[in-house]
Amino acid sequence: MNEKKQGIKDRPAEELGRHIIQWDPDISLCTGCGACEIVCSLIHEGVSGSRSRRIFFEHDSVQLMHKVYACQQCLDHPCYNACPKKDSAMCIDPETDIVYVNQDACIGCGLCVRACPFEPKRLQLNRNKKAVKCDLCRGRENGPACIEYCQCLAIGMSDDEPPVPGVIVKD
Amino acid sequence: MSEQNTLPSYGYVGKIAWIDLTSRSFNMIPTSDYAPKFIGGRAIATKIYWDVTKPGMKALDPENPLMFMTGPVGATGIPTGGRTAVCAMAPNNLPEQFCWGNIGGWFGAKLKFAGVDGIVLVGKADEPVYVVIDDGEITFQAAGDLWGTLTHDCQEKLRAVYGGDSVSAVIGPAGENLCRNASINTSNDNVAAKAGFGAVMGSKKLKAVVVRGTGDVRPYSVEQVLKLRKTMGDPQRKANPVEHLDRCAFRAHINFETPPGAVKKANVSCSHGCNMRCSLFVLDTKSAFPRKYTNQVHKCIGVYAFQMTEDCGMSPTMFFHTEKNHNQACLGQGAQVPPPPDTSDPHLEELTTRRRGSDMDFWDGDYDRGNVINDLCTQYGIDKWDVIVWLMTWLVMGKRTGVLKDVDLGMEIDPGSEEFMKHLLEIITYRKGYWGNLFAEGMARTIRTLGQEKYGDTIYKGIVSNVVPGLQLDIPISFASSWGHSFHWQGRGFQGSTPPGGYLSATLMLMTNTRDAQTNSHVHGTLDYMKETMDAHKACRNRKVAENAFMGEIKAEMKECVTCCDLQSPQIYWPDMECRMLEAATGVKMSVDELYLACERSKNLFRAILMRDSDRSRAQEEPEAYRPLQYPDCEGQVVEPEEFSRLVDLYYDVWGWDKETGWPTRETWLRCGLEDVAEEMEKIGKLPS
Repeated sequence: MNEKKQGIKDRPAEELGRHIIQWDPDISLCTGCGACEIVCSLIHEGVSGSRSRRIFFEHDSVQLMHKVYACQQCLDHPCYNACPKKDSAMCIDPETDIVYVNQDACIGCGLCVRACPFEPKRLQLNRNKKAVKCDLCRGRENGPACIEYCQCLAIGMSDDEPPVPGVIVKD
Repeated sequence: MSEQNTLPSYGYVGKIAWIDLTSRSFNMIPTSDYAPKFIGGRAIATKIYWDVTKPGMKALDPENPLMFMTGPVGATGIPTGGRTAVCAMAPNNLPEQFCWGNIGGWFGAKLKFAGVDGIVLVGKADEPVYVVIDDGEITFQAAGDLWGTLTHDCQEKLRAVYGGDSVSAVIGPAGENLCRNASINTSNDNVAAKAGFGAVMGSKKLKAVVVRGTGDVRPYSVEQVLKLRKTMGDPQRKANPVEHLDRCAFRAHINFETPPGAVKKANVSCSHGCNMRCSLFVLDTKSAFPRKYTNQVHKCIGVYAFQMTEDCGMSPTMFFHTEKNHNQACLGQGAQVPPPPDTSDPHLEELTTRRRGSDMDFWDGDYDRGNVINDLCTQYGIDKWDVIVWLMTWLVMGKRTGVLKDVDLGMEIDPGSEEFMKHLLEIITYRKGYWGNLFAEGMARTIRTLGQEKYGDTIYKGIVSNVVPGLQLDIPISFASSWGHSFHWQGRGFQGSTPPGGYLSATLMLMTNTRDAQTNSHVHGTLDYMKETMDAHKACRNRKVAENAFMGEIKAEMKECVTCCDLQSPQIYWPDMECRMLEAATGVKMSVDELYLACERSKNLFRAILMRDSDRSRAQEEPEAYRPLQYPDCEGQVVEPEEFSRLVDLYYDVWGWDKETGWPTRETWLRCGLEDVAEEMEKIGKLPS
């Protein structure tokens, strides 16, 4: 809901797909644990570390008003369009219209990162110079892991109903 | 587990940076020189200290190694693994002794992402510097422009230079001016404060350590890590809104009118990977400085700056557990919200009945004043316990008893006044005048300098029990416990509600420590234990009290080696939680007994340092720890010296220490795999026959 304020490029909502958002603090304040990016990098790369994450937790070290940035899943796919190996490296899931990366084919040119219209960028090259990008944990039974493991329900999907404060969530 | 020191390829990153500020150089030493025999964190720091220091070193000498040490769990994603041990000879202990601290925030995790398991800082720069650790590269930068800055300002300036993904540990003006009660700060209010390590940084002319790291930390089992993220601290999964309150209601007895809309609060995590989020976060509070508003984390003692009219009331569930209901110690202190109780528990009423120890009427509720005091302590980089629990209460009781009638602090003594507290903290931080210089030496040395009999031991008669109506609870005007630290769960003073099973165990833990231990070893036990130990006299004959202290200390070592948080552990009904954490991080499978032994090793090596450097023995520590017990608890119970002695006998026996001297026996050293220490102890005549 604050994405427009967070991104330098003010893209209209109709150009964005179903994506991960950070709820307003009045709904749930991000506590700053970093679980979103921790589980993201663990699940996808088997390590904890900032170069392996697909979701970007920006830690406000003094005022503690943390920000979580994620791919907006733009409907016009600028990252996909910029890829010289499109449909081989950058691909589009025909069922969900979500852009995902086939790392085996990625040549690490970084054009997709440059094409991302948001700041901070919502995808990056990992340690092996392969593009990594949020694909909403494509194929994962429980959906995006970052949402599942955010214990204070500070993030959700853009078209989800916001959580009710104080409600305990049972697995 | 094999005793061979082969470092697992998971969890650890494999190097410790040895940083010499005198020569502005560094070298990397392998973590495998220490781990896994010394698991991590505090255990590694203790081993390094044992190896490299010699008796006679002072806290502010350049040789004093200031260490930040992570554990194998750190930065793996296992909950609360972001805690970091900070160790060195401590200036605010009386006498100066080897000591430990434990700091949260994201500093420790960043160290690992930068490629080091820890850092050892030695030497002294010839002019103010800060150290930058950037993905394993270490540089030394001039800190002239930063010297003099407040802790938050310093962090923000460094963040502007090194980017939003950098983290720094800094000192404020108090550390620069070698105030013995100075803290090291990171993030909003993560501090290593009690030992006075801020002054150690100041003595090295080291303003800050900045870390930036983009490396990886690989746990042994992602599956196990993810499982722990769901099972540790469960259930606490609920939304965390910013609450807009029109009254200040931080604890049950701190509840007074505030300006409309003044209180906005939520909860935050205080370290990387934390799942507890027990820190109370108050937004838009009054600042002590030109910055108009500030957000403040309030933990534990900070809430007493708002008001101190009543004992720290406790309910048993904060420390004593049943299978169905167990919380972390002090949860509720800062209005943290514990999980909803299991109402099917037949002991629910006993567990949740608040025990209000005593009334003291020290200062009334003032929300703005409390925030200003906390902001001053944080920004100057000064220990809140030394100020709020000890100095402020001492000023109130000293004034009421007439002890301070000739003292001129430049303003009328009134800890309830915001202006007075601003003045007081300024003269301490900048060492202005006689009194500023004196208080900057910390409360323990202040009272020793002024004269213990009058300025420490004068009895204050204004505290009245709430448990036995009308009972006056005589207490000295100085809330001193042991080793230069203030009361903390001693069952007296402002925490009279702690029952005997709690305060006797806490006193034993304090006895063999070098600082207030109730920040990493809060007493835990079963509800049955609490009920069995309500009579202080009988409790002194009960081995379970000694065993409770032993368990608390072992778990403290565990928390600071593995590492995790004191509000995460121990889980009385999940005794192998730390084993599961260690296995998920490193792949090393240890039984509870094996992990206990590793922690015994660390604790006994700590004791060896105290025996070698500080002449630690039973003759020294028993009377030091006993002192508060001579005063009545909230039921009027006084523990006699010989009663406490009996308990100490039991306690030493549990540890395998000689009852006469308090020194570990040869058998104990050998059992812990510390043959070399046994030889050293024999050489210096401290190996009991």
